[in-house]
Amino acid sequence: MSAQTLDRNATLADLLARTALADQQAFAELYRSTSSHLYAVALRILREPAAAEEVLQEAFVSVWHHASAYAPSKSQPRTWLTSIVRNRCLDRLRRRDLNTVTLTRDNDEETEIDLPADGPSPVDMLIAGAEAQSVRDCVQALDGGQKQAIALAFFQGLTHAELARQLGEPLGTVKSWVRRGLERLKQCLERGGYAR
Amino acid sequence: MNLSRADRSARLDALAAQYALGTLSPGARRRLAAVARADFAVGAALRDWEFRMASLAEAVPGIAPAPRVWERIRRQLGLAAGEAARDAPTSWWASLGLWRGLALAGFALAFALGAVLLAPVAERPDERIVAMLSAQDAKPVLLVSADRAGRFLTVKAVGTIALPADRSLELWALPEGKDPRSLGLVPAVGVARIPLGAPAGITLQSVPALAVSLEPAGGSPTGKATGPVLYTGALQTTY
Repeated sequence: MSAQTLDRNATLADLLARTALADQQAFAELYRSTSSHLYAVALRILREPAAAEEVLQEAFVSVWHHASAYAPSKSQPRTWLTSIVRNRCLDRLRRRDLNTVTLTRDNDEETEIDLPADGPSPVDMLIAGAEAQSVRDCVQALDGGQKQAIALAFFQGLTHAELARQLGEPLGTVKSWVRRGLERLKQCLERGGYAR
Repeated sequence: MNLSRADRSARLDALAAQYALGTLSPGARRRLAAVARADFAVGAALRDWEFRMASLAEAVPGIAPAPRVWERIRRQLGLAAGEAARDAPTSWWASLGLWRGLALAGFALAFALGAVLLAPVAERPDERIVAMLSAQDAKPVLLVSADRAGRFLTVKAVGTIALPADRSLELWALPEGKDPRSLGLVPAVGVARIPLGAPAGITLQSVPALAVSLEPAGGSPTGKATGPVLYTGALQTTY
């Protein structure tokens, strides 16, 4: 990890600690330095600015109340914040699925907006995103199908069934790509001493 | 079910991984979340995987949320007014997060197509290029259109633009993998034609998106965008 990254993490951890003590300035600074990243993560999964804004708002309100729950020994501050946002996005997305699943499943697919093909692909972003070299190597080491399925699920919030449709593969194949890919990812991460 | 301890732990781990990745079906997701609240080991497995997954998200290019988000947070928590929403000092090009934003332009475009483009009967409706440029709040602001064979772009202001007298709006083509290229100045109100050196279909080849930046009056003195990017939009071909 670069010195710059370490610095940034130390600063964020400090801001979180001060936020836990109800320091409003620290909280504002925390928002300033992380909201762009978190909003982008939410927007990718939810694809609606209004929904992404709501998740961002909920997440920061929750951070204000629960900043003391952040444990520096368990995760990097940015990772912790991202996991809060991702989790809320996925909950919201799946809730939406539950509501629409019986009525409009197939029509939905037609009107769903796709991310442009010209930007970096999900696989590229997954590889580039793994900040530590060990994590990047682990992502690289996955088989093509595993990598693609995991990247699509990760960045676009697709379920197994949606992945199968998008990749044009049987559901069973996709499920096993995801399962094996995640297993290998974990083993590799643990071998590399990258605990979390 | 009669699972050994190791089997159970492996199965839990696989489920937790899929939970964190987000691929579980809605029902399975809800059930697992409910179990996790009651069972510490399950909860810990979920959190471990959430962290692992979140650590992969670093490369998502940032997109600054609208200032109103911070305002809402501040109001909801009853915090003192501050200037938190100030922009982070990143280069406009790197921080554009454009590729992500483009998907959203699709919405605006769908409306625009209905309202604007279908009104006049185009001679060759299959050969038109359009882009709806929106501000960060996704409100459509400028509609750019061209005939593929035509040598000009038509730019129509469809939203309200507050432009200081000593500033101009400059339109940029954002070619894939290359630096932005200036197309010319655009109006804050009304309609303008921007002449092109070559047919639009050629000028805008391999250009997936357009952007508008705020520049000194008369346009950027350097040939590169110097001010903030106000609006962006994906180029689309209509059929």
